[in-house]
Amino acid sequence: MTEPLSKIPNGLRYYFGQEARLRRLIEETSMSIFEGWSYEEIITPTLDYYSLFERGMGPLEAHQAFRFTDSDGRLLALRPDVTSAIARATATLFANRPRPLRLCYAAPVFRQHGQSTIEWRRESTQIGCELVGQNSVASDIEVLAIACEVLRSLHLDSGYVITLNDVEVFNGVAESLGFDSGDRDQLRQLIDGRNVADLESFLASRASAKDGRAISQLIRLSGKFEALARARGVITDARSIAALDRLENLWRIIESLALTDHFEIDLGDVSRLDYYTGLTFKVYIEGAGTRVGSGGRYDNLTANFGKSEPSVGFVLDLDALAGLLLAGNNAAMLAAPSERRVQCLIDNDDLSALFSEVIERRTRGERVLISSGEVTP
Amino acid sequence: MTQLTIAIAKGRLQSGALELFANSGLCDTRDALSSRRLAIEDESGRFRFIFVKPMDVPVYVAHGIADCGIVGRDVLMESEADLLQPLALSIGRCRIVVAAPAGMRGGGQGMLRVATKYPHIAAAFFGARGQSVEIIELSGSVELAPVLGLADCIVDLVETGRTLHENGLSIVEVIAESTARLVVNRASYQLKAKAVGTLIAALEAARCEGVLQSD
Repeated sequence: MTEPLSKIPNGLRYYFGQEARLRRLIEETSMSIFEGWSYEEIITPTLDYYSLFERGMGPLEAHQAFRFTDSDGRLLALRPDVTSAIARATATLFANRPRPLRLCYAAPVFRQHGQSTIEWRRESTQIGCELVGQNSVASDIEVLAIACEVLRSLHLDSGYVITLNDVEVFNGVAESLGFDSGDRDQLRQLIDGRNVADLESFLASRASAKDGRAISQLIRLSGKFEALARARGVITDARSIAALDRLENLWRIIESLALTDHFEIDLGDVSRLDYYTGLTFKVYIEGAGTRVGSGGRYDNLTANFGKSEPSVGFVLDLDALAGLLLAGNNAAMLAAPSERRVQCLIDNDDLSALFSEVIERRTRGERVLISSGEVTP
Repeated sequence: MTQLTIAIAKGRLQSGALELFANSGLCDTRDALSSRRLAIEDESGRFRFIFVKPMDVPVYVAHGIADCGIVGRDVLMESEADLLQPLALSIGRCRIVVAAPAGMRGGGQGMLRVATKYPHIAAAFFGARGQSVEIIELSGSVELAPVLGLADCIVDLVETGRTLHENGLSIVEVIAESTARLVVNRASYQLKAKAVGTLIAALEAARCEGVLQSD
């Protein structure tokens, strides 16, 4: 039996017409904003060594990559993220460039998924930026402000929330309990899933009642500034408190920028601890059932490539943004190209006259349609 | 006003879940209890209930079509969906067990044939102890499989144990205890934080009352 030609592999699709134009517009809008903040575009290889992504994303995440063997037998992968290749470039290619580096990209990434995950796409486009070589609240705020500007420029500013956390709050708590890495990861999963019931039975045999209460509070500590105040009531180790201080500092500035409507503190957001080292944030927008972006500080990433330096960045999911704008029927974003165009009829006897007219009209910037008969627009 | 869509697992948990909503004072669910409609809005307009197969609850919630769901822990363990589960409820108490006819062979070096509606749970459970198993996925009447020789044992949900007993099976091991869970979509948890917070608090209060009464 032969496969029908119409069939395309799972998780892949065509984009055309209005949707294709919209995707291009989102990309251009974002890239021009990055440029406005002095970020330089970087285009990374579509195929790279699999080991690059293992170093960059951690083995679990890299495992989702499509893999091939190179002609010399080394394992290659279709890039499952862009950040890994950027981290390598900053540590090698750009090692001698003055810091900080500001880099941005818009590129498709490829991931395989298990049958049961709700993520069906295997090709998706990431829009992101990285600020490397500067560890300061200023750079954390810079990338948050850029994310806000992108969402505002896409007319999505009525209903988005960016949740903020610092992974050191969790790390401090886990360290004070003296957990090994297995218990630590289980604790992380339970907190990340806000799973109070299973967390309580997990901690019953591993922590004092007092510590247990402090940790179950972590799950519930989300909200505006008051969440930090409540956290100080239950969290006592120095490492966590330093993280709470950093978040408070950040929040004060967000407050002064009158952006608090768009921000929430969420100390239960501990999704990728092997990767992030300080601030983490997630972007949610009304109408999208899953998060549309995420980011944070990952100071250890470049160390995997031999040159440790502070880095912060974020990535937005172009597909999710396009989906929201399409569903929201945003007229400004969805405008079709002008219908005004000049029809140039094909005259088989004199193609040179036809095309010299067409080329002249194009030079004047007119929109032309070459046709063999009148077409109603 | 924020409306929350709640996906409720049809069947075993359905009436218990709706009673819990009524007891919590969140809304009047009498219509939903007597109706056969699959989607029903409460009078205040604060809640919309949809009734779907248990295995589909995580799907609706993960996609954000429903903001919250009420479903057994067994289904969550099986589905591996990325959901928040902020509250364990007292309804739908049952156990996920390995059951077999008396004198089952296996558990040794050989291949164990396991019939189940829960292939992930079964694979994870036996995988964790290094036991090779052949998982035979069935969609119902799992108890028949060992009786007729299709499998050596089963992994299934047990409430009273009566069905097992009547088919000559007994519990070999308990894999996990299960009760109903409130699950919440990650985006809804942030974007509808206030409504979700109110829901969690009210259900938690109602759950505690329920426990006191049953004690």
